[in-house]
Amino acid sequence: MEMLRNFPCFSLILSMGAAIVSSGLSGKLARRLNTVLLMIITLLSAGTLYLTFTTDTFYVYKMGRFSAPWGNEIRFGNLEAFMALFFCIVMLLSIWGGKKHLKKEISDFKENLYYVLLNLLLSSLLALIYTNDLFTAYVFVEINTIAACGLIMIRENGHTLEAATRYMLMSLIGSGLLLFGLCILYDITGHLLMSNIKEQVSILTETGEYQLPLTVAILFIGVGLAVKSALFPFHAWLPDAYGYSTVSSAAILSSLVSKGYIFLLIKVFYRVIGFEVIRQSEFINVLFIFGLTGMIFGSLSAIQENDIRRMIAFSSVAQIGYIYMGFGLGTEIGMVASVYHILSHAATKSMLFIAAVGLTDVSGQSKKFIDLTGAGYRNVAAGLTFTVGSLSMVGVPLFSGFISKILFAQACVGHAYKMLPTLICLAISTILNAIYFMKTVVRIYTPVKSEYASLPWKKDIGYGVVCILFIVMNVLLGMNSEPIVELIRSGIQMFG
Amino acid sequence: MRETIIALLPILLPVFMGTILLFLKRLKERKVILFYTGTGLLLTGVLAWNVILNAKDQQVTLFWLTEQIPVMLKPDVLGKVFLMVVTVVWICTGFFSFSYMKHEKNERRYYGFFLITFGILMGLGQSGNLVTMYAFFEFMTLAAFPLVIHNQSREAVMAGLKYLIYSFFGAYMALFGLFFLCRYADTITFTPGGTLNAELIADHGQMLLIIAGLMILGFSVKAGMFPLHAWLPAAHPVAPAPASAALSGIIVKGGVFAILRVIFYLFGADFLRGTWVQTVFLVLSLLTVFMGSMLAFGEDILKKRLAYSTVSQLSYILFGIALLEPTAVCGSLLHLMGHALIKSTLFLCAGAVICRSGFTRVSELRGIGKRMPVTIWCFTIASLGLIGIPPTSGFISKWYLATGALDSGIAVFQYAGPVILIISALLTAGYLLPVTLKGFFPGELQQEAGHDTWKKCEGDRLMLIPLVILTALSVLLGMFPNSMLNYIDGMLSGIM
Repeated sequence: MEMLRNFPCFSLILSMGAAIVSSGLSGKLARRLNTVLLMIITLLSAGTLYLTFTTDTFYVYKMGRFSAPWGNEIRFGNLEAFMALFFCIVMLLSIWGGKKHLKKEISDFKENLYYVLLNLLLSSLLALIYTNDLFTAYVFVEINTIAACGLIMIRENGHTLEAATRYMLMSLIGSGLLLFGLCILYDITGHLLMSNIKEQVSILTETGEYQLPLTVAILFIGVGLAVKSALFPFHAWLPDAYGYSTVSSAAILSSLVSKGYIFLLIKVFYRVIGFEVIRQSEFINVLFIFGLTGMIFGSLSAIQENDIRRMIAFSSVAQIGYIYMGFGLGTEIGMVASVYHILSHAATKSMLFIAAVGLTDVSGQSKKFIDLTGAGYRNVAAGLTFTVGSLSMVGVPLFSGFISKILFAQACVGHAYKMLPTLICLAISTILNAIYFMKTVVRIYTPVKSEYASLPWKKDIGYGVVCILFIVMNVLLGMNSEPIVELIRSGIQMFG
Repeated sequence: MRETIIALLPILLPVFMGTILLFLKRLKERKVILFYTGTGLLLTGVLAWNVILNAKDQQVTLFWLTEQIPVMLKPDVLGKVFLMVVTVVWICTGFFSFSYMKHEKNERRYYGFFLITFGILMGLGQSGNLVTMYAFFEFMTLAAFPLVIHNQSREAVMAGLKYLIYSFFGAYMALFGLFFLCRYADTITFTPGGTLNAELIADHGQMLLIIAGLMILGFSVKAGMFPLHAWLPAAHPVAPAPASAALSGIIVKGGVFAILRVIFYLFGADFLRGTWVQTVFLVLSLLTVFMGSMLAFGEDILKKRLAYSTVSQLSYILFGIALLEPTAVCGSLLHLMGHALIKSTLFLCAGAVICRSGFTRVSELRGIGKRMPVTIWCFTIASLGLIGIPPTSGFISKWYLATGALDSGIAVFQYAGPVILIISALLTAGYLLPVTLKGFFPGELQQEAGHDTWKKCEGDRLMLIPLVILTALSVLLGMFPNSMLNYIDGMLSGIM
């Protein structure tokens, strides 16, 4: 059992090491290394989860020789381990699902670079999940940004370069704000380790000192991470970045990268500032309002979109809005709902991106709806997967989206003044979701005598398996949510 | 275990068989498809009757969706009544389609979804709590969608989308009730007499009334109650005739069934009696009764006329429910059964006429009675049933509805109800009987050129036998209602 405590540290070092090694490998070897790495880290995370789950406590792991408050720490409980496990699985599936496109869309001598970036991204995600040190978190936020930029522009065409530049600009604004926030926090508390800051913050709130700087720090950190995770109205970079990059990148960016920042924000809430302080500040009301507007406007933009990939991207804006809305409720159960929605959305959105690319493949690579007519017959696996993903997004029972909707609604029922706005926005957003997703599903199942119908579509077993795995994951989340919710709840308690 | 198997078999078998049929692309032989579908229908029928005869009124929990919400089946008397109606009508329309769909494309898909919907309806009837019912309700909407848009003309797809959006909208309105009921009710398992927790609701009576109103309004979308009835006259005429028969006979009854569950098994009749919700419900249903008849009266396209008639007749049932009075509810249930039999007969007759003679408008139907005597006789008998002439079932149910209204003692409505019912019955005669009159007494038709007027074009046996069976059952229900009345008597005293 003692051995298991080292696993998070191992996975961090392994992923960074793999990134370095990959830079000297050929594309093919790098790909294999990445697959093996992801599988190993999946196992390691499972081991970690086993450890925290059976002992039902969290662990603090000292990095290096110095102990707190000078050294660097890793801290993990149920939720961290589960997130790492889940992120690895989604990443693996996203890469497998887009494998064919990677080969086509990336020039050969850059293929290994792609895997270098992926490994770096993975390491930064793991670091964001595990670290107990705010400055380390900041460093890995930057690594994450750079890796994500690379993933977007590796396709090397005008659209992706523009999208990557935009992404870079917005992300840097976000990181800048985050850094400001951290500086102020360091200034008034004198610490960088999360647990130490929290002690100081609780003293500060008792004495009432430094209230203004503290509020400003919270604001900077919150807004910075919100910009990076594309909360409405900071979402302008998102549709291009997700819409034009190669499909694995889009799936990983939408389902993991933005979620990594959100997870960091949750950690800041619980472990740095203290949830009680956050709850009493006005800040969560700001998040709440932006979350609600995001839910509506994201869906409205998605309805107007005529490009399937960009439509899915805009739907992400709406879903991120759901997550922030859950934060904004300021209750434990709202937080649980948000974390569940992180999982549910990560699983569903990557699934939709992978399914969408299967559909565009059999429609002459066109992403316009008119060309997608009947694509569901031409590529059965993709059509089915897209349908399941849509049903989950719309919130049909047995799929994961329904559970997150139920959790959100249960969280807001009984809330004094946030209940009605939440319920109304949930309803409107759901109807809008239904409109554009069902429209697409009907479209891909409308038979048409198109020029693509006769194209020989080679059966791709690997792709089919990925599709099935995605469906299974979604249904598992949807039908078996009880243990997962329980896990999230215990994990959040371990945060405190 | 035994109970679980009994309850699950009629759900899983047709869903399984239907799904297989959808994926059996190689299967082109029409006879094999028909044989397969027929076997599936009959087997499911047998299994359904096994539930009706052998299942005990006991909960079967399948799995837990979230920690408070199980998915469970509970075949009680109301559910069994629903199963009876579904089984009879579904099998008859199924066999009718064998002949009707001969000239349509994509038969395999039609039968696949026909079987799947059958299974889902079995689940809807047996569902033991609100979430399970909601899940099956959504699946019913989705599975019936391909039946609506079967011919995939632009008109059909638009009507189908209308149906889908309206249904989702309604279902989400109803879903809100779930969020609140989880909090304010002891359980969301259907319990005769309601499950509201008197202590918890003490201060929230008004809010829960709004919720009850929303739920009723939400589920009434499926039952075509004003103001959300517009999908019904759009969707029915574009669907193939057996599909519209199934829609009108069964799917819309799903909405009625859900409302019965919500009122009598969750909120409880006492909670709603005398409140504004009841008044609104009464007003809307009466308005719909009248409006539907008027619209039907002015409509020339036969299937559309029948669709408006469905709008009107379903609100008879809803009116009876809204009175919250045992006699009236009894009348509602009888009308539910009677209307399911009668309206499917009428739609099938219309289908036979369209299929054999190509006429779609009532004004074209002169002399049709001589060409298709059996069909038009069935049409006539069913019409008499709907108008409410003894000894058909319509008479008995309307009798109960009217006495129930008089007994209820609700000011205005106790008199307004019967009056409007009678006016509407007259209108019903006005819009149904012309078909018979013109059909059997064409007048001077022989002289018109281009008509090979007297040529027989009666449907084949597969068409006629289901028609005759349905007609006979509707008459039998009217002549011997006592067995049915005895069956539901215990249930009625339980819920009120």
